[in-house]
Amino acid sequence: MAKLTIPAQELMYPGHAACPGCGAALAMRLLLKGLGPRTILSIPACCWTVIATPYPTTALGVAVLDSAFEATGASISGLRAGADALGLKDVNIVGFAGDGGTADIGLQALSGMLERRTNAIYVMYDNEAYMNTGIQRSGATPWGAWTTTTPTVHGHPGKPELKKDMMGIVLAHRPAYAATLNPSFAEDFERKVERARDIVGPRFLHILAPCPPGWKFDSAQTIALGRLATDTGIFPLYEVVEGRLRVTRKTGSLKPVSEYLTAQGRFRHLKPEDIERIQVGVRATWEELLKREREDLSRAMTPSAPAPAEATLAAK
Amino acid sequence: MIEIRFHGRGGQGAVIAAELLAQAAFLDGKMPQSFPFFGVERRGAPVTAYARIDDKPIGLRTSIVAPDVVVVLDPGLLATTRVTDGIKPGGLLLVNTHRGPESLAAPPGVRRAVVDATRIALSHGLGTTMMPIVNTAVLGALARATGAVSLEGLTRAVEQFVPARPQDNRFAARDGYLGVRIEAASEAASGAAAAAPAAPARPRVLPEGPVASLSSEAIDTAAWRTFTPVIHLDRCTKCNFCWKFCPDDAIEFDDVGFPKIRLDYCKGCGICAAECPPKTIEMVATEI
Amino acid sequence: MTQKVLSGNYAQSYAAQLARVQVISAYPITPQTSIVEKLADFVASGELPAQYVKVESEHSALQVCLSAAALGARTYTATSSQGLLLMHELLHWASGMRAPIVMGVVNRAVGPPWNIGSDHTDTMSQRDTGWIQIYAESNQEVLDTVLQAYRLAEHPDVRLPVMVTEDAFYLSHTVEPVDVPDPERVDRFLPPREPHAVLVPGTASRLGSFTGPDYYVDFRHQVAEATERVPTTFAAVEEEYERIMGRTHGGPFPTYRVDDADAVLVTMGTITTTARSVVDELRASGRKVGLAKLRMFRPFPNDAVRALAATADRIGVVDRSYTFGSMGPAATEVSAALYRSPRRPAVTSFLAGIGGRDVTLQEVRHMFDTLLSGAPAATHWEDLEIEEGAVHG
Repeated sequence: MAKLTIPAQELMYPGHAACPGCGAALAMRLLLKGLGPRTILSIPACCWTVIATPYPTTALGVAVLDSAFEATGASISGLRAGADALGLKDVNIVGFAGDGGTADIGLQALSGMLERRTNAIYVMYDNEAYMNTGIQRSGATPWGAWTTTTPTVHGHPGKPELKKDMMGIVLAHRPAYAATLNPSFAEDFERKVERARDIVGPRFLHILAPCPPGWKFDSAQTIALGRLATDTGIFPLYEVVEGRLRVTRKTGSLKPVSEYLTAQGRFRHLKPEDIERIQVGVRATWEELLKREREDLSRAMTPSAPAPAEATLAAK
Repeated sequence: MIEIRFHGRGGQGAVIAAELLAQAAFLDGKMPQSFPFFGVERRGAPVTAYARIDDKPIGLRTSIVAPDVVVVLDPGLLATTRVTDGIKPGGLLLVNTHRGPESLAAPPGVRRAVVDATRIALSHGLGTTMMPIVNTAVLGALARATGAVSLEGLTRAVEQFVPARPQDNRFAARDGYLGVRIEAASEAASGAAAAAPAAPARPRVLPEGPVASLSSEAIDTAAWRTFTPVIHLDRCTKCNFCWKFCPDDAIEFDDVGFPKIRLDYCKGCGICAAECPPKTIEMVATEI
Repeated sequence: MTQKVLSGNYAQSYAAQLARVQVISAYPITPQTSIVEKLADFVASGELPAQYVKVESEHSALQVCLSAAALGARTYTATSSQGLLLMHELLHWASGMRAPIVMGVVNRAVGPPWNIGSDHTDTMSQRDTGWIQIYAESNQEVLDTVLQAYRLAEHPDVRLPVMVTEDAFYLSHTVEPVDVPDPERVDRFLPPREPHAVLVPGTASRLGSFTGPDYYVDFRHQVAEATERVPTTFAAVEEEYERIMGRTHGGPFPTYRVDDADAVLVTMGTITTTARSVVDELRASGRKVGLAKLRMFRPFPNDAVRALAATADRIGVVDRSYTFGSMGPAATEVSAALYRSPRRPAVTSFLAGIGGRDVTLQEVRHMFDTLLSGAPAATHWEDLEIEEGAVHG
C-alpha cells in the first residue's frame, strides 16, 4: 500500500443513509479523520440528521448531540461550558450544520457563539440549498440556480439573489481561524482540519458539499465538479489565521466558470450573458482575495506596522 | 376496491407512479387515493408508495399491508426487500425485468407479470442507464395486467400531469401496455415467497432516553446499487484515490495493499471509477 | 440557617448557588433580570464556581443548558413571558432528551399589548411541553422549591426538566424574610448529579437521534411514564427536605380549612396568600369556605383534586390566564379531573389578576359570594366584574 496522504482512521461508518456520491458524507468522513475520536459533534436538522441513520444505529464513531435547527452556535457554547465545568479535557467541540442551518435560521446563534469567543469549531457544509427537505433555495444558494422554490419555468431566471457571503460575515467577528475547504482537495482539507483542531478559540470551516440530486449531476462527478468549483474561482480555497488571509490553492489562471456551470442541471437554463455575469463576479471576488492576501502579507513583513485590531483580539 | 403497493428507489418515480395512477383512475371516473410511505427518501434507497382505487370514496387512511397488486419498479429490490409480504392470495406481482414471469419468486397462488420497463424507458430517452425513469412504462403494464385503469385514462393523465416529455412518457405507457407478459392463473406461483431477509425483531423494552449507539455497519446498503465497481488489479497502482474519495467508506485494503470494495455498503456512485488515475475501475451493471 | 430579606428573584439566585449549579446561561428580560444579575455577581466573586454563558437569545440560553446537561452538568436558567415563548421549541427538546434542567420563570403577561405585569399565560401555554411546573406562593417557597426541583429533576425515576415559577413583582420584586439554609445542609439534601443517558466523549453515541413510527412512540411513552412517577417521587423529595431543613410546603396540592367547606377556591401563586386571609375572615363570620393551592400544575394532581371533591359542593378555580374559547386553564384541568370522580361538584372559572391586576380581598370575597350564592357554574372575568360592581353597586 502506498503511503496514505490523509489519516487512516475512519470515524464515519458505512451503512449510512447518504445519497450515492454525497459530498456531505465525504466531508464528514474527512473531517473526522482529522479531528479524531475525542470529538463531540452537535448536529442540527440537516441532511446529516438522516444520513447518520435512525435509532438505534449511528453512522458516527464519536459522541453526537442532535439539536434544534437554529441552535448549533448555542449548542457548541453549551457543550464547551459543560466540558469545562466537568473537567473534560482534550475534546474537540464541533458544530456541524448545513448552509440553511448556518446562513439562514442559525445565523444568530452562530454570531453569538463567535462573539462570545466559544472555544469550538463551527462547520458549515454547504450544498447550497435545503437539500434534506428536497432542494429549496437557501441564503447560500448561488445566483441563477434552479431550486424547487426558484423555478426556471416561464422565463424565471432561478434564484434572483446572490449567495450570502458567510466567510465575510464570520470574518467580521474576528474568529481565531476560518477557512474554506473542499473534499476534492483532500490533503488541503485535512491540513486545515488539523490546523483548526490545534487552535484555541472560535473557528469556522466552510466546506463545499456537492449534491448530485440537488445540483443535478451524475454521482460519479462529485469530486471532479468540486475540483472545478475551486479551479474556476467559484469556491476559492483560503484560510484566515489571526486576521491574516492566505490563499491555499492557486493555479496559473482560473478556468472559465462555464465549465463548472454547464456540468450541472441546476444551471442548464442560464443564457450566455448570465454566465458572463457570473464570470465577471467571480473574477472580481478572486482579485479581491488576492489583494487582501498581498496586503496581509506586506503588513506582516513590516514589523513597525501596527497589527490590525482584529489580529490582536483574535490572538487573545 | 383494489389496493396496490409500489416498491422502487428514491429518484426512480415510485411515488409519482402511484400518484399518476390515481390521476388516471380519476379520469376513468373512479375514486382513487395514493400516498407515499411517510419516511425519508434518499436517491437510490428503497421506497414504498401506495394506491387504492374504488368506485366509491375510500374510507381508509392506513398503509396497505395486504395488497391486491405489488409493483416492483426495480428488480434489484427483489433480493433485499420483502416485496410480496402480505400480498393477497390470487393477487398479482408485477416486476420490471427483462426475464420471464417464471423467474419470479412469489407466494402460492400469486400471479406473476413482467415488463421490460427499463428497455422501454431508455428506448424513449427517459432517464439514464444508471437511473432509467420507468414509471410510465410500468403503469402501462399495470393497466393491462389489472384493468385497474384504462390505457386511455393513463394516457390522458400522462398528458396532464407529467411535466417533462409527456409524449415520450405516453409512448412508454403504451409500450408497457403492449409489452407486459402475464402468466395464466393456472400457472400461478406454487413455490416459496421471495427470500429477502426478515426485518430484525424490535426490542420490547427500550433503554430510557433516545441514545443510539449501534454502528450503522449493521445496515446493508448494497440494495441501493445499480452499478458495481470492479477493480482490475493488474493495472492498480495502489494510489488510494478510490479510498480517499469514497463517500461511503466502502473501500478497504487487502493484505498486500490493494483496494477492495465492501460490497455490503457500496452504493455504486461511481466516484472511484471516475477518479482512478489509471482507470482500472469499471462500473458494471448489477446482475439481477 | 441565616435569615435574609430577599426578593423572589434573589431567592432563585441563592437557590441556584446553593444547588452548586455548574452551567448557567441566560438572556435578560424584565422582570427576571435581577436573578441573572445576582448570579453574575456570585460567579464573578467566586462564590459560585460555575460556567456562565451569556447568550444572544432565550432560545440559545436553553440550548446552552441542554447541551451542557447532555454532558452531565447541572444547569440553571431563568426567563419570563416572551422569552419563555421563544424557548418553546427547546422546551420539548429538554423533556424529550430527559435533561434535568431547572428553570426559574417569572410569570408575566404576553403581548400585545406589551405588559410586564403578573400573568400565567406564559407558562400555561407551555403546559404540554413535558416540563414539570411548580408555582410558588412566597419567596421562601421559591428558594425551597428550586432546591427540591433539582432533586426531582435528577431523580432516576424522573429525569425531566422543571420550571419553578413566581409571580412578576408580587414575588420577583417583593422582599420578605427568607431562611437561607447552610450550604452543608443543602449538600446533604442535594448530592451532585448522577448523569444518565448522557454523551461520553470517545464513544459512538448519539443523543437525540431520529426514529420512524417504530420507536418514536416508545420514547414519548417513556416521558409519560416518568411524569406519572413524579407525584410519588416529589412526596419523597419533600419528606427528605423536611427532615433536613425542617420545612415543607405541603405537596402538590395543599389545602386549607376545606374539611367541612361548602365552597372551595383553588388558587395558584400569590393570589393564594390573599385568599387565605379571606378564608379566615369568612370562617370567623361562620361561612364554610376553604382553599386549595394548586402548587404543581404539571403533572396535574388529579387524585388530590378528586379527594377535595369528596367534601366540597362548589369549587371555584382562579386562573391568572385564559384559554380563548374555553375556561381558565386550571379550571379546565380541575373539571377534567373531576369527571372521573364519583362526586362532580360544579366548577366555576374565575379569571383574575390578568396582566398584573391586583386581586384584592374584596375580589376574593366576591368570588366566594358567587360560589355560595349557588349561581350556575360559569366563567367570570373577575377583574371586569368587580369594576362594574364598584361602578354600579
